[in-house]
Amino acid sequence: MTDIAMILDKLGRRLVSDVAPQLEGTYAGGQAGMVGLMAVMAGEAWDGAADRLVREIDGARALLKAGGVEDDTRAESLAISELTQVRDRLMGQLVALQAQIETDTSETARALNARIWGFFLASAHERMPSPPDFPEPDTEAGDPA
Amino acid sequence: MSGVEDPALARDFAAYFETKMPDARNAVVTALTRIHGGASRQTYAIDVAFDSPGGRIQKELILRRDPADSLIDTERKVEFAAIRSMRGIDIPTPEALFLETDPGPLGAPFFVMGRIEGGMALNPFKIDEIDPHRAAVGEQFFRQIGRIAAAPVEGSPLAGVIDSPAPEECWRRELDYWAGEIEKDRLHPEPIAAAAIRHLRRNPPPPAQRLSIVHGDFRSGNFLHDGQGRIIAVLDWEMAHIGDPFEDLAWATDPLWCANDTERAAGFIPWPDAIAAWEGASGCQFDAQAFEWWSLFASVKAIGIWVSSARAFADGENDDPILAWSGWFTHAAHELTLAARLAPKYGVELPS
Repeated sequence: MTDIAMILDKLGRRLVSDVAPQLEGTYAGGQAGMVGLMAVMAGEAWDGAADRLVREIDGARALLKAGGVEDDTRAESLAISELTQVRDRLMGQLVALQAQIETDTSETARALNARIWGFFLASAHERMPSPPDFPEPDTEAGDPA
Repeated sequence: MSGVEDPALARDFAAYFETKMPDARNAVVTALTRIHGGASRQTYAIDVAFDSPGGRIQKELILRRDPADSLIDTERKVEFAAIRSMRGIDIPTPEALFLETDPGPLGAPFFVMGRIEGGMALNPFKIDEIDPHRAAVGEQFFRQIGRIAAAPVEGSPLAGVIDSPAPEECWRRELDYWAGEIEKDRLHPEPIAAAAIRHLRRNPPPPAQRLSIVHGDFRSGNFLHDGQGRIIAVLDWEMAHIGDPFEDLAWATDPLWCANDTERAAGFIPWPDAIAAWEGASGCQFDAQAFEWWSLFASVKAIGIWVSSARAFADGENDDPILAWSGWFTHAAHELTLAARLAPKYGVELPS
């Protein structure tokens, strides 16, 4: 069985629906509910993680190239950890590039800054997990108080 | 409440309690339960029974003990002093009883408050549960933010433990602090937060209209209500400081704390009503430019908290799952909020 997304989804739902209610009102119950919730979210994120990282890498590389920064570093494989390393390297350079151009009032710089913000907005949308819907969720789950 | 989840802690607490209450004898913890949430401190509900000159009595208490790491790196003396600063002001707070900075008695610094029975917290993700008392609670909510802003700073217990910035320096001090937290704790580059911090530095707010006590985390989820439309306690004062009163107003109305309700302030009442309640209680005048700056800052500060949470979780300093949730879901939510607010200022057209 290699369907990790399905496994995490089922494990998470079991924790939220069966285990947490048995521990209702206890600290362990709250933790079980939250772990279950995140297991379901992790299953969903796992399925799209490599795709999202590759698109972030391609987007950042294109923006850097438009700003005159060439970086052809490639991931050794499609492992999430390696893709993340390359993405982080490029994002670090993008932070520096944006800091350099954002006070430049030329049309070229303004257009590139708008493209960078458009990329940030699109990638933030893609990173946003959708919290799973449970019939009777733990009433405290999710509040980071 | 019944049951003692941690007998060793119960025994140590009873011994400590007797040292702090000279008239108390034969103190016994009859119930001790750890409360879920509140990862910034380990929080326990404790019932302690003891002999007093007037007979055997019981007190219901809350113990807030420092974990190895927490969501928020603050000293418990600040929280304790902030609660004490609300004495004599119409803000319902728990009774601040003991502050212990010596880790000896219970293994870590802690403080003890009176417990408020019958109160319910409101989950920010389920704010509709406040119906049919939404308007009543909302009106109190904004008046209380205003009352905290109007509370005297000079001579307050809080002013005795932390310093006061100049009115024109409030924004810079807070921004420097949270930018530093992000830089110190980030696991990955934070391009959206970094761009937002630079934007805030280039576009500072007007000086604070007055120096105020700032709760620092006033929002849905951090007060207790009685289910009948009355707020009976304002909690979680660990981020309290002295600063600009717009900071609390902006934080309290951050979209995350009201499930992105754009129609009502903090998900409670129409914006004009909220502003009127706040102005009336605070004596401050609403200023759109100041509010805009502080509300963007609120999202940066939130990212600072979530980045620190993620760091503590990843490094194994604190394995409470709430830290993983904060470092993932709420971090993503605030990145999206910031990007959606700032991108149009730099020429990005949002889809209608």
